[in-house]
Amino acid sequence: MSAAVIEWSGMAKRLIAVLVFGYMVMPSPVVGQTDPAAIMEQVDRLLRGDSSRGVATMEVVTENWERRMTMELWSLGTEYSLVRLRAPQREAGTATLMAEDDIWNYLPKVDRTIKIPSSMMGGSWMGSHFTNDDLVKESQLTEDYVVELAFEGDRDNVAVWEFVLTPKPDAPVFWGRLEYQVRQDDYMPIWTRFYDEDGELSRTMAYSEFEEFDGRLVPALMEMQPIDKPGEKTAIRYEELEFDIGVDENFFSLRNLQDRR
Amino acid sequence: MHIRVIIRLALRNLRRQLRRTVLTASSMVVGGGLLIFSYALGDGSHESWIDAGVRTGSGHVTVEGPEFRLTKRIEDRLPTNVRGEVEQLLASPEMASQVVAVSARLTISGLASSPAGARPVQIMGVQPIDEASFSSFDEQLVEGRYLEDGDDLAAYVGVGLMDSLDLRLGSRLVVQAQDAEQEIAAQLLRVVGVFRSGVPQVDQSVIQIPLHIGSEWLGVGGDVTNVGVVVTDSDTVAGVAARLDNELADFVSRGDAYVMDWRESTPALASAVAIDEFGNHLVWGVLFIIIAFGIMNTVLMSTLHRYREFGVLQALGLTPGQTGAIVLAEGMTLTAVSGFLGVGLGLWLTWYFFGDGLDVSGLIPEDMEFSGVIIDPVIVPLFRVARLAQVFVFILAIGALASVYPAVRAARIDTAEAMKFER
Amino acid sequence: MRNVPWPRLGWRNLERHRKRTILTALGLAVGFFACVFIVGWSQGIMNEMVESATSLVNGQVEIHDAEYLPDRSMYDTIGGRGGADIEGLLEIIEQDVTVIAAAPRLYAGGLISSGDATNAGMFMGVDPVREVRLTRFLDELVEGRLPLSGQNEILVGEEMARQLAVAVDDELVIVGSGADGSMANDLFTLVGVFRTGLPDLDSTFTVMPIDVLQSFVVLPANRVHEIAVATVDPFGAPTTATRLADALPEGGSPLEVVPWMELNPALAEYVALGDSVYGIIVTFVFGIAIFGVANSMLMATYERRREFAVMLALGATPRSVWAVVLSEAFTIGLFSLALGAVLTFPLMVWFHNAPPDMSWLYGDLALNGALLRPSLRVEYDFAFAGFTAVSLLVTVVLAALYPALRAGRTPPADTLSGL
Repeated sequence: MSAAVIEWSGMAKRLIAVLVFGYMVMPSPVVGQTDPAAIMEQVDRLLRGDSSRGVATMEVVTENWERRMTMELWSLGTEYSLVRLRAPQREAGTATLMAEDDIWNYLPKVDRTIKIPSSMMGGSWMGSHFTNDDLVKESQLTEDYVVELAFEGDRDNVAVWEFVLTPKPDAPVFWGRLEYQVRQDDYMPIWTRFYDEDGELSRTMAYSEFEEFDGRLVPALMEMQPIDKPGEKTAIRYEELEFDIGVDENFFSLRNLQDRR
Repeated sequence: MHIRVIIRLALRNLRRQLRRTVLTASSMVVGGGLLIFSYALGDGSHESWIDAGVRTGSGHVTVEGPEFRLTKRIEDRLPTNVRGEVEQLLASPEMASQVVAVSARLTISGLASSPAGARPVQIMGVQPIDEASFSSFDEQLVEGRYLEDGDDLAAYVGVGLMDSLDLRLGSRLVVQAQDAEQEIAAQLLRVVGVFRSGVPQVDQSVIQIPLHIGSEWLGVGGDVTNVGVVVTDSDTVAGVAARLDNELADFVSRGDAYVMDWRESTPALASAVAIDEFGNHLVWGVLFIIIAFGIMNTVLMSTLHRYREFGVLQALGLTPGQTGAIVLAEGMTLTAVSGFLGVGLGLWLTWYFFGDGLDVSGLIPEDMEFSGVIIDPVIVPLFRVARLAQVFVFILAIGALASVYPAVRAARIDTAEAMKFER
Repeated sequence: MRNVPWPRLGWRNLERHRKRTILTALGLAVGFFACVFIVGWSQGIMNEMVESATSLVNGQVEIHDAEYLPDRSMYDTIGGRGGADIEGLLEIIEQDVTVIAAAPRLYAGGLISSGDATNAGMFMGVDPVREVRLTRFLDELVEGRLPLSGQNEILVGEEMARQLAVAVDDELVIVGSGADGSMANDLFTLVGVFRTGLPDLDSTFTVMPIDVLQSFVVLPANRVHEIAVATVDPFGAPTTATRLADALPEGGSPLEVVPWMELNPALAEYVALGDSVYGIIVTFVFGIAIFGVANSMLMATYERRREFAVMLALGATPRSVWAVVLSEAFTIGLFSLALGAVLTFPLMVWFHNAPPDMSWLYGDLALNGALLRPSLRVEYDFAFAGFTAVSLLVTVVLAALYPALRAGRTPPADTLSGL
């Protein structure tokens, strides 16, 4: 089945989870011992928002092609999101709306909207190395994983924590474990490593270019790299980002989906 | 004239031309024996196909929501109260004797994901013990174990899916589907066993999980998508289906339930059986026509050689009708005795040598499947009373048909002309 | 007794007992008919299955890039990523005498949407003109017509049409992946609905012009996934495949030329199985018939024992008596054959050209990926008919052996004196 289609159609409620950064609680001075779960919660909350709007470019490199897209993204909580492509020119205006559990795609070239059953959400999102799973996460990392501190100290002259996240017995996640490296002074994640059940590293996510947007510090550049295909990667860079934009559910409508603005 | 005399005359004639009688009788004996052999094996193999077919599908009889077969949506499932009613009925003394296995299942389409990717799948929530006696999934185990009572997040997965999702025994996988509230719900599962059915689609997309996990995951309580029943043999199907339909009449009329037998749920299977039976009827019909000609020949010859004898008998008062009756009796006795002997011999030999099954695996290809059912190469003959009765009637009919023309000729013998013959 | 006219003697004897002769001959004739008809029907079934598994959609021989199967990656086109001279290849293929037609195909997966309904499906790009020479499934459309090259026109299977609730002239939104990673989407007009009878195809396959699909998925015109070839005789596919493999140039990437038996081994085995059964059928049928003939011959020789006694008394050797009996048997055989032919031939022609519809007995049946439709169509097999004829004659002669021997041993003196 078509990769690009199903991924593009897999517009995630929690797209924002990875791409748009919501609140970031100002780091409170660490008092006494580190509480791994609390810290991870904060890191995780980087990845959730109330409402937000952003503009980002995504570059995808695969064995067979390379692509660069610019998109505008809105989100409200975990249930609503709207993504509209601005570039490349010939695909500008293509948009995906996710409202509760329904997904719609607007295709400007033919000026039509199609409804995608969520059962057709396949592997990758928009042909990238992110999966719909990465984006559809409703629950928090701390709900699904047990967090342990594995390392506290300096790496490359930067004070970091390294956490190991092991899935709780019944959590609906298929990773064997996750590892996070987080900066101690501002709680910025530096990398995430995804391991399958056999303990093999499956892919890594690297965060960099930390910038302030709308008063918050976030990593503007995120790169996902699959281990089994070394030449391939997906990189997302934020150009614009703002929070608490004051939209409600009504914004996430079919009419707005088709709006070519 | 007494019927006993007619019979005696007929028998005496047969005895007089013993060699001829025996030769003709032999063709009938061989024919009869092979006939019953062929039908016993045919009926046996059909029964085996049906059994395999219904166990792969939804049983000899299935009760499901009326729309479910078409839409396959969770909204069209069978409500708990209907399910309960069906299970109770099947357990009742009147029906229990005919029921071999019952399995209530919750079947839904969804998506299965692992680190290696995502695939569309058919998830079947089943009760392990019931399901094990119902279907043959548990026998297709190649690694690990089948589901057990008390299992929680266990999944029983086909080899094809194990491959495409790069799974191992004990691997985690996550399945997602639309639940009763129309929302996407995810469920964690761990692979406890792997099966190979031999049918690629099944191996690549079917996952069996414990029913209670499925119910919790999809929020359907005690509801299921169907209750399937395997009965003792295909002859009892009609009775069971009718009974269920009757008792569930209220539910059926309300549109809550629909009772279906295997001919409706797997029409391809019904077709396969019909075509094979037809082929058998065709071959044997023709073979017996050949035998009938032989019989006609013999009886006719014996008649034509006894002109004088018949003439004398007629002169002594035998009516043409009675003359004809003698010849008819001769033909039919010859046929009946040799036929029944042949059938009896065939029955005994079939039972003796192949009672446990005839292994034709040398003849048919491995992994031969039709309509998703794997064919078992061992054929166990089935001896049906109805079939036996059919065969006897057929033999008698052949005997009668073959003797009609000679009988008519005999009846038309002119007494005076007959006296001119030597014999 | 060298110049004795055996055939005439044989025939004269048969004529004297016309009824017996006819009845015996009828038995054999029916046996002949049975064998030829049953085998004809069985072959009809096999042929139909092979047809549906090959001529319906797939073709008897398929040509792909060596890497294409089993993953069917979009990028593994014939000739590799640089493509190939498709027209040139087609020309070479069609020059082979056993090839009826060849056609290029391109495949891609995607979504088909109409209103609120969206289905996942497979797009098959074909050359409409070449395709109908190759396969049958587009011959009788349920509705509509074939798509025109260069037009955004599409056909879907009956089951998909039902699920999407669409009919001819409706608009469909087609979404797929481009080879450059872009999201391909376009509007197509549904111009026809097909029915193969195979549920998988009818619910997931769609057909569009290959040039349109190529531009849709951003592949140049010289890149295709498959060339399907139809051969005169499905069972000659392997030799054709080998010949084509030699004839076709290597190009950018090695090719694989595969006959249908390799793509569907279960079906190939099933068909081979059918062939092995025919011998059994003949044995059965004539095994039964032999009794009748033996009986008849025995009666005949017994009745004429005086005649044989006279012959022997006059100096004929037992061997010449055998000759009489056997020639009689042979003549019956020939006569039966004639009768059998008269009985069989018209029926075979009838059932071949206008097979009765068997749907009262059974419906469509899918077996090993092939479709069996309910009809009593028979196939001609003259080789087998010949074999059956020979078997018939052999049966007759075998049946006459014992009677001949007995006739030859008739004691002349005793017989003539009335014992």
